[in-house]
Amino acid sequence: MTLLTIDGLQMYYRSEAGYVRAADDITLELERGQTLGLVGESGSGKTTIARSIIRLLPDNAEVVDGSIDFDGTDITELTDRELRNQIRWQEVSMIPQNAMNGFDPVYTVGQQIVQVIRHHEDGVSKADAKDRAKTLFDELGIDPDRVDDYPHQFSGGMAQRAMIALALCLEPRLILADEPTTALDVVIQDRILDTIKEMQAEYDSAMILITHDISVVSETSDRIAVCYGGRIVEQADAATIIKNPRHPYTLGLRNAFPDIGDSDEELISIPGTPPELVDPGEGCRFAPRCPFAEEECWDVTPEPEEYDDGHIVECHRADEADELRSLAEKRETWMDTDEATPTPAQGGDD
Amino acid sequence: MGLREYIVRRILQLVFTLWAFVTLLFVLFRMVPGDPTTRFVMEYPTPEAREQRVEELGLNEPLYVQYVEYLGQLLRGEFGDSTHYREPVSELIFPLFLNTVVLMFTALIIAYTFGVLFGAAMGWLRGSRFERGGIVATLVARSSPEFWIGVILVWIFVFQLGVLPRSGIGAHGGELTMNVVDRYVNVDFLRHLILPALTGAIYYMATPALLMRNTMLEVLKADFIEIKKAEGLPERTVLYKHAARNSVLPLVTVVAIATGAAMGGSVIIETVFNWPGIGREMVASVTRNDYPVAMAAFFLMGTAVIVMNFVADLAYLYLDPRVKYE
Repeated sequence: MTLLTIDGLQMYYRSEAGYVRAADDITLELERGQTLGLVGESGSGKTTIARSIIRLLPDNAEVVDGSIDFDGTDITELTDRELRNQIRWQEVSMIPQNAMNGFDPVYTVGQQIVQVIRHHEDGVSKADAKDRAKTLFDELGIDPDRVDDYPHQFSGGMAQRAMIALALCLEPRLILADEPTTALDVVIQDRILDTIKEMQAEYDSAMILITHDISVVSETSDRIAVCYGGRIVEQADAATIIKNPRHPYTLGLRNAFPDIGDSDEELISIPGTPPELVDPGEGCRFAPRCPFAEEECWDVTPEPEEYDDGHIVECHRADEADELRSLAEKRETWMDTDEATPTPAQGGDD
Repeated sequence: MGLREYIVRRILQLVFTLWAFVTLLFVLFRMVPGDPTTRFVMEYPTPEAREQRVEELGLNEPLYVQYVEYLGQLLRGEFGDSTHYREPVSELIFPLFLNTVVLMFTALIIAYTFGVLFGAAMGWLRGSRFERGGIVATLVARSSPEFWIGVILVWIFVFQLGVLPRSGIGAHGGELTMNVVDRYVNVDFLRHLILPALTGAIYYMATPALLMRNTMLEVLKADFIEIKKAEGLPERTVLYKHAARNSVLPLVTVVAIATGAAMGGSVIIETVFNWPGIGREMVASVTRNDYPVAMAAFFLMGTAVIVMNFVADLAYLYLDPRVKYE
């Protein structure tokens, strides 16, 4: 059953220079209880996409077109008040990057969990809400008595667990995890990811996992969407994205992360910088950095096309993916970008 | 270190600070040129008469004797006799001090209550017309001299609207025989209190408003504000219970210092509104070289600052769980 359907969403930021197209023509689906990985570099729009679901965006953000359907309700049509009371935390909660900063430092963690429970559920006594917080702590492997501690008394990993407790306290149907492990060291990262997965299964919540680290999503996600320049350039089930990607950006992204297997291989990075999102014009937004860009890529914005089952790619050369894939593994391919591509008037990044 | 130990240590510190302050006060006044007789030549027609008076006052004793005597007096809660009025200083000064405290506390409570709320709203509505207008209004209030604000208020409420008394403290203000509650809790006194308190409030409101706005801007960037919004809490809860609650911390120190400054700074307001407070008496006593009165006035003001700082430190313990007893 589909829980979330984002259809043609255009979430732009107004600026003096014009609209910043932070999320452009986003189309996504998320099944109940499943995990969607949103991958991309900073500024690619992944956070904007996730936050537009709970409208947690700066004042200059504007839904220009499209809809966000959450279990039959179009979220873009709700008033702020309805959104606050019906969607936020009740249905969609959030785990931030740095849990320590996610708690208000002047209240105990327990007080903060109690506050949100009592705000959303009528007639729950403080004691009952606190008992629920303690139960959650216990499930997450934290001493239940620590609900009376202040956030600064927790270690990083503990704070992240406490944050998961906060995120789960209303048993939401969707959790937005924004780089939930980036601030932690590697050993704890893994444990936290495992904990999140376990709890997610137990509470049957869906999750959108936002990260720049493709290896994190490959372990945890059912489906992966790759963001570039405010668009989703490729999406498919996790295995397909990892083994059989078709978009040159995904190919490059895969190269940029170490493969534990052959660790002596030097990483290959994608040259250039993310595109300017004010008035990006026609053409593929990745073209200026793409080693395989052809004339068509500069002039015509590629339409999303579906290959196999649910594998959607926005690339003119996606048909040739099998050849490009082997080329993409070679360092020279990525180094020659500047000379190999004809530089047209619009220039891309300079 | 436990809470009790911390408080005990803090009290010891308080005592030491008070002692240092009192010593400094004593030394400063002995360094001032002249003595209580120099301003009133007419009263002491002959050098002998003058010397006799100096002796009476104990000013011919060695400094350390005077110093020990002074400390002893303070410990007994006495301030000696005024050299000008020739009356015990405490009887003279306590009612005046109380008048000032009532006036300035009223002014500061209004200033900090509204200043904090107003500043929080300015920070919250960053970039809005409300914020821009608020900053201008605050800076204007801050830059206007107190006497000017006072005069404008008098012009509006006394001469144009005719709803409030022009000056003074009310019919019973100066009478010491009345008990304190009766003296201050009556309509006549409160009517007299409004204008001077408002003058002080307008003047003192700028600091908390601007400081609050600035710390709010910092706090609003914190991740937990986003989370509180994501939790679906109403804006007002996020604004006051979380953002403002965190922003108010640096203000605690400022309140402590402002309280002391207000005790001293009240002299202008007292003059404009003919308010029988300690500020005016302090200035007068300094020009008269009336050491006991001046020193007592400074002592009360300085003590107010020191005690308020102590209270502020204790308040932090309650307000900010991250403060460690160190």
